[in-house]
Amino acid sequence: MNMVIAMKDIYDCSLLIVDDEPELRRMVEDILRREGFRKIISAPTCQEARELFATEKPDGIILDVTLPDGDGFSLMREFRAVSAVPVLFLSARDEDEDRLLGLGLGADDYITKPFLPRELLLRLRAVLTRTYFPVVQKQTPKPVFHLGKIQVDFNSGMVTKENTQFPLTAKEFTLLEKLYENRGNIVTGDSLCRAAWGDDLYGYENTLMVHIRRLREKIEPIPSEPQYLLTVRGLGYKLVGVEEK
Amino acid sequence: MKSMMKILLRYVLSAAGVALILLVINFIVLVTWTIQNSNIVPTDYAISDLAKGLRKSEVGYTLSEEANETIKKHFQWAMLLDQEGNVIWEENLPPDLPLKYSLSDVASFTRWYLNDYPVYVWKHPEGLFVLGKDKGSTWKYDMEIPQKLMDNILALLPAILILNGALAVVLALLLGLRLFRALKPLAKGIEDMAEKRPVEFPTHGLLGDLAASINKTSQELIQQEAALNKRDNARTAWVAGVSHDIRTPLSIMMGYASQLEEDPDLPQSKREKAAIIRRQSERIKTLVNDLNLASKLEYSMQPLRLTSVAVAPLLRDVIVDFLNSGLSDSYTIQLNINEKAQNTYVLGDEELLRRAVANLISNSIKHNPKGCTITVQLEKTLNNSILTVSDNGKGFPPDILKNLNNPLDSSETQSSGQQSGEHKSSTHQSGEHKSNAHQSGEHQSSEHQSSEHQSHGLGLTIVRQIIKSHGGITEFQNLPEGGCKVLLQMPVHS
Repeated sequence: MNMVIAMKDIYDCSLLIVDDEPELRRMVEDILRREGFRKIISAPTCQEARELFATEKPDGIILDVTLPDGDGFSLMREFRAVSAVPVLFLSARDEDEDRLLGLGLGADDYITKPFLPRELLLRLRAVLTRTYFPVVQKQTPKPVFHLGKIQVDFNSGMVTKENTQFPLTAKEFTLLEKLYENRGNIVTGDSLCRAAWGDDLYGYENTLMVHIRRLREKIEPIPSEPQYLLTVRGLGYKLVGVEEK
Repeated sequence: MKSMMKILLRYVLSAAGVALILLVINFIVLVTWTIQNSNIVPTDYAISDLAKGLRKSEVGYTLSEEANETIKKHFQWAMLLDQEGNVIWEENLPPDLPLKYSLSDVASFTRWYLNDYPVYVWKHPEGLFVLGKDKGSTWKYDMEIPQKLMDNILALLPAILILNGALAVVLALLLGLRLFRALKPLAKGIEDMAEKRPVEFPTHGLLGDLAASINKTSQELIQQEAALNKRDNARTAWVAGVSHDIRTPLSIMMGYASQLEEDPDLPQSKREKAAIIRRQSERIKTLVNDLNLASKLEYSMQPLRLTSVAVAPLLRDVIVDFLNSGLSDSYTIQLNINEKAQNTYVLGDEELLRRAVANLISNSIKHNPKGCTITVQLEKTLNNSILTVSDNGKGFPPDILKNLNNPLDSSETQSSGQQSGEHKSSTHQSGEHKSNAHQSGEHQSSEHQSSEHQSHGLGLTIVRQIIKSHGGITEFQNLPEGGCKVLLQMPVHS
């Protein structure tokens, strides 16, 4: 707990890299240093990793599965027995079983080699932030956006069109939110139905169509000639022309 | 076991048939033989005629010429007894025979023998006419058959035959069952062998030799199977090992290339070269993954996570992924889902099925760089889901088409898969060079052309393997109007 308080940001975290390939260790270290991590130690074997773990108490571990004197899974179990330190596997084993085993044992993430440095950094940051800087549950404002002259406010669930306000029903809200999250991209009818009714499109075709029509009546200037909520025949719908406030 | 029952039935019936046929033949032969060899019921003379041939004259008795000859030919001696039992006429009478016979003597020899001479008697106006043969020439037996039996003999004969037949069937059945019992384990052993289970019989008894050969064959089969499995395992393990070993050096290449690509201190041209290294490394990664997957699918070592997969949403999802990832406008993807097929489910590994469809679409995109219309169609029959992916592009090269539809045997497919994998990387390398306009040599374009054929290989091989592992069928076709069509048929899951 003391350490957590002492940390200003995730870059204060000390990291332990365990991998038997020296070039790879050097590269990962390089990637992390460039990103701004300051305390980085590394070990080529389970034995050295154990010693460093005991003396240095790292805040995060990047662990290979195949090691010369043991395997990463057992090593993680040893670490986990005494500490909840976040562990991220970096393994050349891409079998689903290995990944599931690693995650099942409680690893925070599992990256298969070869990987892009950016992916490693994004995932590592996510794991460290989640562990040491959990987001305080506060009401983040939901998006407000424009479709031409029409304004959609997800906070109030209101659509403002020519100075008149229309409330969105719960289903309309869910559908529009899903479309907004994927704005500019096609969203399949199945994804929309899963979001709104928890099921695939089959059996909901007409229901979905009815809700989309009502939604268009609220957000389209001319509902019969949609400009923003477009139909992609046979596939789904697409929300275009979104202007962020 | 069914065939064993058939064998037994046929055996019993044929045994009964053989018995009946033998019975009938014997009967006929016996009757014919008896009739032909019998002197008792001669056809050319009758005792009565002989008796009539003996006439009383003034000088005693005279035998007619005809009767005399017959008697000489067929009999040894003859005599005539008067009512008192005295011999009143004789011809060639053996000396050991008496000349007077009592009533009981007559009764006895009429029925049996006279001093071991077989004799025949007939009534004569003067008394009793007796004919005698050589001792031991004829076996005589007086037969008695109930009248009732004789009356019904014609009706009884078929009954007797049937009875005999039934008896033969029962006997054959009993013997057959013994054989059946002896053969049953062997038959089961052969069935086991067909299903590749080990077989071990005791080798003593009636069918010991047969059992020993079956044991030996079974052992050999199991050894072969084990050897094949071992080889397949070794191959898969080898491919998995190589792809594992490539990952770490590839990570380092990708890592540094990516760093250089993003290094703002480097000039743009250098960063672009780094980007090429990074992209090619990613291609190797994809290839290695594909190769690994193809090798595992080929030898059924890819675990399938089977769930009931809704096909229509999967297709929409795959196509939308292509459209959302910025597919060029020169490509159009059409989706036609038959109304009946909207709720088609198959039992399958969703990730692999997705991959199969995506491979087909990206194959069409990759091989028609000038653009094409890709049509994905789903239909449903009573038992099958039929998915076709077609395009109006340039179609498959003929030799590729042949290979895709007739993968010879598994080992050959595997090696061709590996080959095309290797060629594919070179294809893309040269293709990449071209597109980046850094270098363009003639050798590259020729290399590009020659390996163009090969580059269809792995992605489509994986499609076929995935569908096969789901118990389905894949058909690759070229359309007469140009373009290609791939048909995937899989059993529906209710």
